Amino acid sequence: MTMSDPIIAIENISKTFTSKERGKGRKRKKKVEALKDVSLEISDGEIFGLLGPNGAGKTTLIKCLTTLLLPTSGTAWINGFNLQKEENKVRASIGCMLMGERGLYWKLTGRENLDYFGALYYIPKNVRRERIDFLVDLLELSDFVDRTVETYSSGQKMILAFAKSLINDAPILFLDEPTVTMDVHAARNLRSIVRSLNEEGHTIIYTTHLMAEADELCDRVAIIDRGEIIALGPPSELKSSIPQESVVDVEGVIPESARNRILEIPGIRTAVVKDETNGKTMLGIICDNSRKVLPKIIDVLVEEDAIIEYINPQEVTLEDVFIAKTGRSLSIDTREIVTPKDAGK
Amino acid sequence: MTAKTVHKNLGLSEMSWRSSLGVTKTVLIARFKIVLRYKGAIVFDMILPVILAALPILLGVAIAGQAAAQNFKDATGTENYKLYMLIGASTFIVVTLMLWLVGYWIRREMETGTLESVYASPAKRVEVLSGVTLYALIRSLMAFAFAMVVGSLIFQVDLFQGELALALVFVVIGIIPLWGISFAFGALILKVKEADSLIQVMQWVVAFFMGIFFPITVFPPFLRFVALSFPPTWMTNGVRASLLDVAYFFGTWYFDLAVLLAFAAVLPLVGYTVFLKTESRIKKNEGVGQF
Repeated sequence: MTMSDPIIAIENISKTFTSKERGKGRKRKKKVEALKDVSLEISDGEIFGLLGPNGAGKTTLIKCLTTLLLPTSGTAWINGFNLQKEENKVRASIGCMLMGERGLYWKLTGRENLDYFGALYYIPKNVRRERIDFLVDLLELSDFVDRTVETYSSGQKMILAFAKSLINDAPILFLDEPTVTMDVHAARNLRSIVRSLNEEGHTIIYTTHLMAEADELCDRVAIIDRGEIIALGPPSELKSSIPQESVVDVEGVIPESARNRILEIPGIRTAVVKDETNGKTMLGIICDNSRKVLPKIIDVLVEEDAIIEYINPQEVTLEDVFIAKTGRSLSIDTREIVTPKDAGK
Repeated sequence: MTAKTVHKNLGLSEMSWRSSLGVTKTVLIARFKIVLRYKGAIVFDMILPVILAALPILLGVAIAGQAAAQNFKDATGTENYKLYMLIGASTFIVVTLMLWLVGYWIRREMETGTLESVYASPAKRVEVLSGVTLYALIRSLMAFAFAMVVGSLIFQVDLFQGELALALVFVVIGIIPLWGISFAFGALILKVKEADSLIQVMQWVVAFFMGIFFPITVFPPFLRFVALSFPPTWMTNGVRASLLDVAYFFGTWYFDLAVLLAFAAVLPLVGYTVFLKTESRIKKNEGVGQF
């Protein structure tokens, strides 16, 4: 893929929500800055990942760009149209999958849903019919497309929602956590279709909190945290900003005192809990040189009676980039979602 | 406008008046498909006015016996209390379906997430809302016609008396301002994100003021003024006066119809403006998808 001119240009978009806080019989207005002065250009033909934990602001940004929310300040150009002044043309330029399996009429069949949304995109009836048949073949919907959506499994609803986003064959696709309830096989298929669509010339904006998914799919990613872009670039570039031998993962029963002492070891930059289930902890440690500090980490863990099940210097992932930038974890391990077969384009 | 980005095609979209009509038609058909898949929903609309009318008719007979018709004539000008009640109950179902279906539609679409999908599409609001209100119109007129015919057979009253065509004109013109009120009510639902309890209360307030079972002349002056500010009151009385010996509010049909026409000219515009303004305010804050 060759990078070209931007098809999306975002200029200083900020979004502040005002909500009412209730406490002790008094209501107070509370302002939450969901996006802070975000500027960004997305090239025509790019797969662009928006990454970040829940509540980081990625869905708010997507909703602003799809005209569902009005930015508090700033603007954007999408496919040559201004976000605020040419809303309808912006909408016609994009296909959206924003709410996962929601956003479908459960009492209509899959085909009726596609026809309904096709009409809302002003697609002529005969073109619509052909497009639906094409999508039914492409996404292998034929087994269930003529049943009402209420009878679908969660994965079937997701794939129909994905089909709905493709109904207009729009040049730009916004996919917000599209694989979130899919099984491994369905998620792999979806990613493969996303790649094919991209090869056909579609620009894809892909939001996910699954860093590994973004790593293998996206040409460039922006990591958003607390409404700000904290890192932007190709995944390989972002990962190379952290020295290769600087991440150590430890899994087991690790007391808090051990975690605190690990942080005191010279050369340790940060240590965060990546996951905590059934009394076991996955600790991600970012350090200057893992070979030097590994024996010291083990000493501390032994002294603090930790039960070590697994300890390994890791390859740097986008999640480590996030940890290095924020000192916090995404508290979910995504590696199991992406299988080796998926790796590489 | 300077395009700051490259400009590609709009996918398969072809904006034209035909595709605009296509949106309205598709929304209308989808609404009917959905309601028909809820067994009995439409039949219930049609039966409800007959049951509703039966309550005061039976009550009247039980209390006043043979004198019911004469007593009723003294108060209303007509002794045909059965048709009077049937008209009240049937226009009530028109009003209730027209007023609340838009609100219910918005609330339901908010909950299922389809409202955001609709808003993310290029279809204009007026095209989608036209489909929804057209659906409400057809459903309410079907209910009205069925209830009047079946009710007249059950209560053994003659529908073909007085000025039937004029009565239909009052129904048709009376529906137009309801569109406006339904848009404004839809805006309220968008804002408060609640429909059920609001509609349940409003339903009976509306029934009370439009005088479904009694003439509003029995109200004290202030309540009568409130009732007369509400278009369905004029619609109901217009239909009754056309078919029965009930007086028009202004003495003649054309003055009453002129009032309804004035409501019809102003309220849809006001209601739609309120809707768009509310929607814009909501998009500035939490968005239409929040529920």
